[in-house]
Amino acid sequence: MTGFLYDNLNVYLFVGLFLLCCGIFGLVYRRTLIAMLISIELIMNGAGLNFVAFNRFVSPEGPEGMVFTLFIMGIAAAETAIALAVIILIFKRFKHIEGSEIEEMKE
Amino acid sequence: MMNPGNLVFIFMVCVTMVGALVTVVSGSVIYAMLGLVTTMFGIAGLYIYLNAPFLAMMQILIYVGAIAILIAFAIMLAGPFYKRPKEWTTSGKLVASLVVSLVSFFVFFKLVMRVSWGEGGGVFAVTTKEIGRALFDRYALPFELISLLIVVSIIGATMLALLSKGEK
Repeated sequence: MTGFLYDNLNVYLFVGLFLLCCGIFGLVYRRTLIAMLISIELIMNGAGLNFVAFNRFVSPEGPEGMVFTLFIMGIAAAETAIALAVIILIFKRFKHIEGSEIEEMKE
Repeated sequence: MMNPGNLVFIFMVCVTMVGALVTVVSGSVIYAMLGLVTTMFGIAGLYIYLNAPFLAMMQILIYVGAIAILIAFAIMLAGPFYKRPKEWTTSGKLVASLVVSLVSFFVFFKLVMRVSWGEGGGVFAVTTKEIGRALFDRYALPFELISLLIVVSIIGATMLALLSKGEK
């Protein structure tokens, strides 16, 4: 570990932790379903940043962490596509997308 | 301490954190999406500092190019949001979310800072070529499963849009 700030593992872990806590905060606090989905994206990005940081500093032999981060990106893309389709369906039926007021799922 | 590398790094960390804060506390959904884009650019900068330029490119390509555009279309289809009440809800919910996020922050912070991770094993020189070789060699099965998952999600989204057409 040298004097450079970007050669320090704890800085990256702190940023990942900050993203996780912002995501949890948004997931509880926001009203609309789209904003909750954006908060989930923040959590996933914090996890991906942690994977790459551990790969860089703890096990620099192979590309495992980077491969896992690429998998996280793919899963996030698929999840976003499905979730937004469901959200638009909910909007068509209920005329709003506020998460706490959607109470019935049957027709 | 104050060499250009550190300054740019601090700038990237600040971009990431400010973007995340804007994402969760802004009053409108479109501002939340713009905050998400800012966060993605900051994280791409951090990936470049972690010697992973391929991941930085993929981050911008996938998140800013695909997911943010998808969210923007969803916001336009589910709008207009300016006629709705703002995102700020009751103070009880604010207190609850603050408590949950701050408690998890301090618990994980103590945990992360206490463990010594045993860092610094050799020089880091993983290239994009090795990532591609690992994807098609050792991780070929998960890679194909991800592609299957994306195909299923595309078909699912299309079917959701098609089946809901005849209602009302």
